[in-house]
Amino acid sequence: MDFKTTNTGDATEVRLAGRLEFTDHDKIPGIIEMLDPMAQTGRRRLVLDMSALEFIDSAGLGMLLILQEEAENHEIKMVVRGPAGDVRRSIELARLSEIITIEP
Amino acid sequence: MDAVHHDRRAEPPAEAALRGFSLLRDRVPADMAARVLARFCGTDQQPGDGPASQDARPSGRPGERVVETLLMERADRDRLRAAFDRGPFLTVELGEGADEAAALLDDWSGAPAADNPDLPGFYLSLTTGTAYGLQCPVLVCDELARRGVLDPQRRSNVELCLHEAVANAIVHGNLGLSSAVKGEPGGHRRFSEMMRDRLGDPAVVRRRLDIFCRWSERSIAIAVVDQGGGFDTELAPPISGNKARSGRGFVFMRTLASRVTVTDGGRCTVLQFDR
Repeated sequence: MDFKTTNTGDATEVRLAGRLEFTDHDKIPGIIEMLDPMAQTGRRRLVLDMSALEFIDSAGLGMLLILQEEAENHEIKMVVRGPAGDVRRSIELARLSEIITIEP
Repeated sequence: MDAVHHDRRAEPPAEAALRGFSLLRDRVPADMAARVLARFCGTDQQPGDGPASQDARPSGRPGERVVETLLMERADRDRLRAAFDRGPFLTVELGEGADEAAALLDDWSGAPAADNPDLPGFYLSLTTGTAYGLQCPVLVCDELARRGVLDPQRRSNVELCLHEAVANAIVHGNLGLSSAVKGEPGGHRRFSEMMRDRLGDPAVVRRRLDIFCRWSERSIAIAVVDQGGGFDTELAPPISGNKARSGRGFVFMRTLASRVTVTDGGRCTVLQFDR
């Protein structure tokens, strides 16, 4: 998995690409590290753009929950945007929309 | 991520890395051959074939079968695709710098024999070090599709199930990591440190991950076997609501496969799908 970050107004947008899976645990701290500066500069929304993500496994879904919890600790709202195809299938199977905000 | 693996290596063509077809009788010690044949090919022993302990190998007589095997020192995606193209039944990665004879004696034929030994199939045996990050479920599904076994409509569900079984076999089986640590504060960091540690341990990365596919006209069975400590198969995965950070892999498998069976003390997961 690779990601690119852009700041827009009150939000930080992280665009994920490739596959988010059990071999990617070491990528998550890179996103968590952004939360401190976000909180300090008043950016209150973390948008994970998943439209370019091809695959997510159960470990990857667990990583989303870790990110959400870390975001909440910083009083930042996390939103998942644009999951499609196999990624949407995994999110639906895990009924993740009950606990994570998913935008089309 | 895919592209990284393809591009970063400047290696000789896959063909050069293959040792070519090896019939079991040429490459594999007799006791190993006997074990493989017992598991995959039913009877190989013919009356009057000589003492079983000395020659359990097929001898080319009518009615006997030979298991086509391809051995490679080190597997990667391109080499495995090239290997599959040649259609061997068994594809075995020996492991880098491994003593060939010793590697062959590793227990890489751990999957239970199918009920019907005549069913077609193939068997892939990799070291954990190679299987990690190789996305072998993609390769295996590609091969199933190439052989006309896997309906493109069903592919993504089969691939997700196989991915989850392989991830479990690598992480919880061969690397011996428990997800419990992920639930602790800062646990994800510790979890990825532990993962790095285990991947740096030569004894651990030599452990085998085996994928054994068989099919009939109506169904496909895929066994995933590891060499880890297993787990208590009597205990259902904890049901801790959908906020849990782990345990979804089995939910995916149970939801998408027509049957999931765990045997061998948790070291073997067999997924069955309708065709």
